[in-house]
Amino acid sequence: MLEQKSSENPASFNDLRVEQTRRSIRLSRSAAPLHRGFISAGAVLLIAAFGTDYIYYAAALWQWANFSAWLITAGLIVMLVAVLLLLIDLATGRAGRLNTISFILVAAAASLSLVNAFVHSRDAWTSVVPQGIFLSAVSTILLVIAGARGWTLTISRATGDRP
Amino acid sequence: MRMTSLRPVATLISVVTLAACSSRAGDPARQYGPDPYLPEASEYLLPPMSVPKAIDWKAGEMPTVSAGLKVEALATGLEHPRTLYTLPNGDILVFETNGPGTEAFRPKDFIAGTVKARAGAAGKGGNRITLLRYATGDGQLELRTVFIDHLHSPYGIVLVGDTLYVANTDAILAFNYVPGTTRITSPGVTLTELPAGRLDHHWTKSMTASADGSKLYVGVGSNSNITENGMDVEEGRAAIYEVDRLTGAKRIFASGTRNPTSVAFEPQTRQLFAVVNERDEIGPDLVPDYLTSIRQGGFYGWPYSYWGSHVDVRVHPQRPELVAQAIKPDYGLSSHVAPLSLLFSEGQHLSPAFANGAFISEHGSWDRSPLNGYQVIFVSFVNGRPVGRPIPVVTGFLGKDNETVHGRPVGLALDRGGALLVADDVGNTVWRVSAIQPGT
Repeated sequence: MLEQKSSENPASFNDLRVEQTRRSIRLSRSAAPLHRGFISAGAVLLIAAFGTDYIYYAAALWQWANFSAWLITAGLIVMLVAVLLLLIDLATGRAGRLNTISFILVAAAASLSLVNAFVHSRDAWTSVVPQGIFLSAVSTILLVIAGARGWTLTISRATGDRP
Repeated sequence: MRMTSLRPVATLISVVTLAACSSRAGDPARQYGPDPYLPEASEYLLPPMSVPKAIDWKAGEMPTVSAGLKVEALATGLEHPRTLYTLPNGDILVFETNGPGTEAFRPKDFIAGTVKARAGAAGKGGNRITLLRYATGDGQLELRTVFIDHLHSPYGIVLVGDTLYVANTDAILAFNYVPGTTRITSPGVTLTELPAGRLDHHWTKSMTASADGSKLYVGVGSNSNITENGMDVEEGRAAIYEVDRLTGAKRIFASGTRNPTSVAFEPQTRQLFAVVNERDEIGPDLVPDYLTSIRQGGFYGWPYSYWGSHVDVRVHPQRPELVAQAIKPDYGLSSHVAPLSLLFSEGQHLSPAFANGAFISEHGSWDRSPLNGYQVIFVSFVNGRPVGRPIPVVTGFLGKDNETVHGRPVGLALDRGGALLVADDVGNTVWRVSAIQPGT
């Protein structure tokens, strides 16, 4: 009954759904957003800086504060690459429009980390305590939420679904 | 409870306001003398800085000297000249030297390297001592020759009897000196080792000898601005050592002196004095560099406090019991002037105004805007104590725009004719400042 109906009307609702899903899968395979991996990699570095900040706070061993300074610097460089790739994603249509909430979470974390890079350029204890570790803690919370949302800052073009 | 929940917000607000505020530097004159004005300490996202661009002296350009004095270039084309020393026969020794170089530990260190290069402070030292010989009075060189070569960031020097002691950054070497000799090729005998190591941040080892020649005194700088390289590397640092000249046995004579770049005995009272470079990055007017008498066993604050008991919050853990003992220095020179040489005048002939007191070279730094220092000053002494305001003697090292620098004064010496010699490690020149003779 159904088969007969579909052969009579090839553009039936079900067939359209199947075809759309196939295209969506193809698109997501061939044109995954370029920025996602770099966002997650940058975030890992920035989150790690909170860990090294905490150890410095607990142990007052200078090398941990240096680790934090390097992690934040490296995290920001990777995030800068991620931003460039995000622009390419948006310009080339590899991804749909911005996912506002994820974008704000990551942008806020990166901005606070930029301030934090300067805080960490101070000398000795106050390069971390209290402002530095506070900033890296807030950045960590924002990035963990962004991670739980899948690291992608755009909405998939094919389906319009949130990632 | 409510207060606790608000604390993160307060921290965030403080971060944001710090980003916006900029401290203004006050008049350096407020910080001269025994009781300098000390503003509240600030912490910055970007500390106030001003990096002058090094531009060579053009032909005919030279520093400016105070009335009644004239200046001429005694020797040019040197490799980063620092310390100057007059031998009894009138020969002048010039240390062509710079730090051994440090590794970059933090992202900030790369930026610091760029800053140093722009300001002309990254010049490679020759790691040697050059001898200059000239007839007193005319300043025309008769001889310029390598005196001792292949040293390791040398800075301090003192002649006791027929032994010349040279303080490399890592050891005091003893050389046999025959009056009139123009070259020493023997490698030198190590009298004692000095704190150096792989990290050697404040590398200069200033040195002088007691009047009877039995003891040497050596200034050893800290291994950081304010302990950011850890406390382990500060072992035996930021101190003035007393070294027994015959045995090489040494002990810490005084401590808490962040970077004692010159030590000298006041001729009238035979009291040991030092000029000390204080800490950076807590404000354009903090902390004043100083000139002080050095008491045996005295603690002068670094790193825990400055100018007596003003606690530095950047140091952790803090040591209140040491802060309570910290001695206030005798005489503020104002902030970030970087005094590098202390030379007592001993009744010399440059001018009656300079008969009793000390010349101090202010190398200048980039840790303040506007810049401060970059001159040679004179501080009068009465009864063995510094008094009054410093008098500028040699200036004009900075360009009129305050953004370029032709030279930076370092080593000072008086030649046998009573002229003041000034080593300039950006202009790579030794300047000779003398009194204008009547009728010329």
